[in-house]
Amino acid sequence: MDYKLKYNEEIITLAVEAVGDGLLSATMGYKKMEVAFERISENLLSLRVDGRKHLAYVAELPDGKAVMVDGRTFLLADDRATGTRPRSGGANGPKAVTAPMPAVVTQILVAQGQPVEKGQGLVVVSAMKMDTVLAAPYAGRVTRINVAEGQKVSPRQVLVDIEPAVVDAAEGRKEAIHG
Amino acid sequence: MFKKILIANRGEIAVRIMRTCKEMGIATVAVYSDADKHALHTLEGDEAVPLGPAEPSQSYLAIDRIIAAVQQTGAEAVHPGYGFLAENADFAERCEREGIVFIGPPAQVIRDLGNKITARRIMLQGRVPIIPGMLAAADDPAVWAAHAEQIGFPLLIKASAGGGGKGMRIVHDPAELAEARRGASREATAAFGDGTVYLEKFLPKCRHVEIQILADQKGHAIHLFERECSIQRRHQKIIEETPSPALTPSLRAAMGQAAVTAAQAAGYVNAGTVEFILDPDGNFYFLEVNTRLQVEHPITEMITGLDLVRHQIEIAAGRPLALTQDELSSRGHAIECRIYAEDPEQNFMPSPGRIAFFKEPTGPGVRNDSGVYAGFEVPVAYDPILSKLVVHAETREQAIRRMIRALQSYAVLGVRTPIDFLLDVLASAPFQAGETYTDFIARHFTKWSPDRDTLDLAAIAYVADTMAPKARPAGRAAQPPAHPDPWHTLNHWRL
Repeated sequence: MDYKLKYNEEIITLAVEAVGDGLLSATMGYKKMEVAFERISENLLSLRVDGRKHLAYVAELPDGKAVMVDGRTFLLADDRATGTRPRSGGANGPKAVTAPMPAVVTQILVAQGQPVEKGQGLVVVSAMKMDTVLAAPYAGRVTRINVAEGQKVSPRQVLVDIEPAVVDAAEGRKEAIHG
Repeated sequence: MFKKILIANRGEIAVRIMRTCKEMGIATVAVYSDADKHALHTLEGDEAVPLGPAEPSQSYLAIDRIIAAVQQTGAEAVHPGYGFLAENADFAERCEREGIVFIGPPAQVIRDLGNKITARRIMLQGRVPIIPGMLAAADDPAVWAAHAEQIGFPLLIKASAGGGGKGMRIVHDPAELAEARRGASREATAAFGDGTVYLEKFLPKCRHVEIQILADQKGHAIHLFERECSIQRRHQKIIEETPSPALTPSLRAAMGQAAVTAAQAAGYVNAGTVEFILDPDGNFYFLEVNTRLQVEHPITEMITGLDLVRHQIEIAAGRPLALTQDELSSRGHAIECRIYAEDPEQNFMPSPGRIAFFKEPTGPGVRNDSGVYAGFEVPVAYDPILSKLVVHAETREQAIRRMIRALQSYAVLGVRTPIDFLLDVLASAPFQAGETYTDFIARHFTKWSPDRDTLDLAAIAYVADTMAPKARPAGRAAQPPAHPDPWHTLNHWRL
C-alpha cells in the first residue's frame, strides 16, 4: 500500500508492505527498510528499523499527527485527507497577507490604491509579545484593506487585498488575487 | 519569616517560586487570568485568585487587582518573578506604600536601573566600564545624526526602558537611522509604555556574559559567578551556560568585582544580574542590571548549590546574607535550554496551541522547570516559554552530552518547539569549541532545517501508528476522546 504523507510543502511517498504481525517493509525512494513495530501505549511505539531500535511518540492533532523520534518532532498528515489547507511560505512564497496566528493589528503601513513592491511591509501585527511585519507576497496595487488598527484577527484571515502588477498568463490569473 | 506570599506571575517561574515557598513552609497565593484558569501555577498555588481577562493589562499587569488579591488573601509579601511587574517601579512603590513586602530591590533602585540611560550614568560615576553611546535622551534628529557620526556605524538603537530585545535595532547605514529609530520607538512604546530610545556602539563579535549578585539590606553584596548567554535569537537568549568558556579566573574575578561595585553604586538590595558585553580581547562593558530573578537563574543554582529564590525571600524578610565571597565555590558545568512554543523552521514564530502529549526528560543532573502539562492550551496572550531544561555535569563536554541526551527524550507534541534545533546547535562544532558569540545563530544556523534521516523514521512511525491497533482499556473511561473543538483547530496555525 502506498502512503502519501504531507510534510510542510512536500509529499513523502512510502510503499509499505505488511510482511507479518508487527512487521512491515517500507520503500522510500531508493531506500528499502525492514521495520518491526509494537504499540506500547496510545502515544508510544517501539520501532526496529534495519536492526536499530527507536522509540516514537505520536499524537493525533487536528491537522495531522505529531511524531517525535530521537528528539525530533515532525507534523505529518495523510495527503489524501488534507489538501484544503495549503501552508503558505512555500517555494513560491506566500500568496496571501494573513496573520500567522491570532493577533492584534498594531499598525497599517499602506493605503488603498497604493502600489507596493514585493516584500514591502503592509501590516504590523502583534501576538505573544512579538511584533511581526506582514509583507507583500508580490508586487502590485493595494485594492482593499480589510482590517483596522487595534482589530483582532484570526489566522488565514486575509488582511489586505493586492492586485498583482503583471497578470501571469501562464497561470491564467485574470482577477485580483486575494493577497 | 513570611507566612504567606503571593506570586504575581504565571507559568514556569510562578511554579518554580512556589516550590521553594513550599519547602520553606510558606503558603502561596497564585493569581491567574481567564486564559490561565487551568494553568499549572493556578493548580499548584495553595490559593488562587482570578485577576480578569487574558489581556496582560487587565490581569498580570493590573496593579490594583494584584494589590487587592494580596489584601484579600492576607499575603505579607509579593514575588514578582520575571517579566510583567518584576521591574515595574510603580508596583514596587505601591507595595511599599500598602505595607506589602516586594521581593526585590527598593522602588527607587528599580527606577534608576530600569532607565538604561540613568543606569549608564550611575555606572560611569562608579567607574564601571560602559559602551560608548548616548548619555541623555534626545528628540532632535540632528542630535542623533551627530551622535551616530561620532560613535560610528554599526550602531545599536536600544529602548531606555527596554529588555528582552524589544525596541532594539542594529543600524549599519545612516540612511536606515530614522526608520529604525521609529520602529524601535514604536516597539518600545508597545512593550514598555515608554518610547524613549538611545544609541550605543554596536559590538558585532562579542559575548553576553552576566554576573549574578546577591545583596542584603545591610549593604553586604556578593557575586555568584557568571552566566554566558550568547546564543540568542531576536536578541533573546535560548541557551545559557556557566562557567563561560571565555573567562579566565582573573577575568572572572574582575567582572565579579565590577558587578558588586555596580550593585553598591546603585544601592542594590536582593538578587540581581549585572549584564556585560565581553569583546574578543577580554574587555567588558556594562550593559544593564536586571533587577529581578533571571530566567536563567537555575544554572547558577546548579553550580553553586544555592537556592536563589530562598535567598531572595530571606533578604526581603530582612535577614542578613550569611554567605561571604570566599566561601562560595563553583562546581562543574551547567547548561540551560529554553523550550518555547515556537517554530525554528519559521524564524522562531510563536506556535500557540494545545499540548497533546508531554513527556519530560529525567535522569542524573537533569532539571526541567516547566509550567505546562499534557492537555494544556498554551495561551496566545503571553510569552510562549514552556519550560527551561537544565543540566549539570562535571565538565562542559559532559554537560553538552547530558543536554543532548535530555533533549532527545523530551517529547512535546501539539505545539512546535525548538528542541530539534537546539540539538543541532549543541552538536555543532562551533558550540562545542565554545565559540559562542552573540551572532552565533545568524552566523551558523540561518538556513537550518530538520534532519532528513529522522524525517524518514518519523514517516515510518506514522505508518506504524496507523497500522498498530489502539487498545482502549475496557471498562475504563480514563482517556477523554481526542476530538478537538473548532477553536483548537483554529489556534493550531502554521505559516
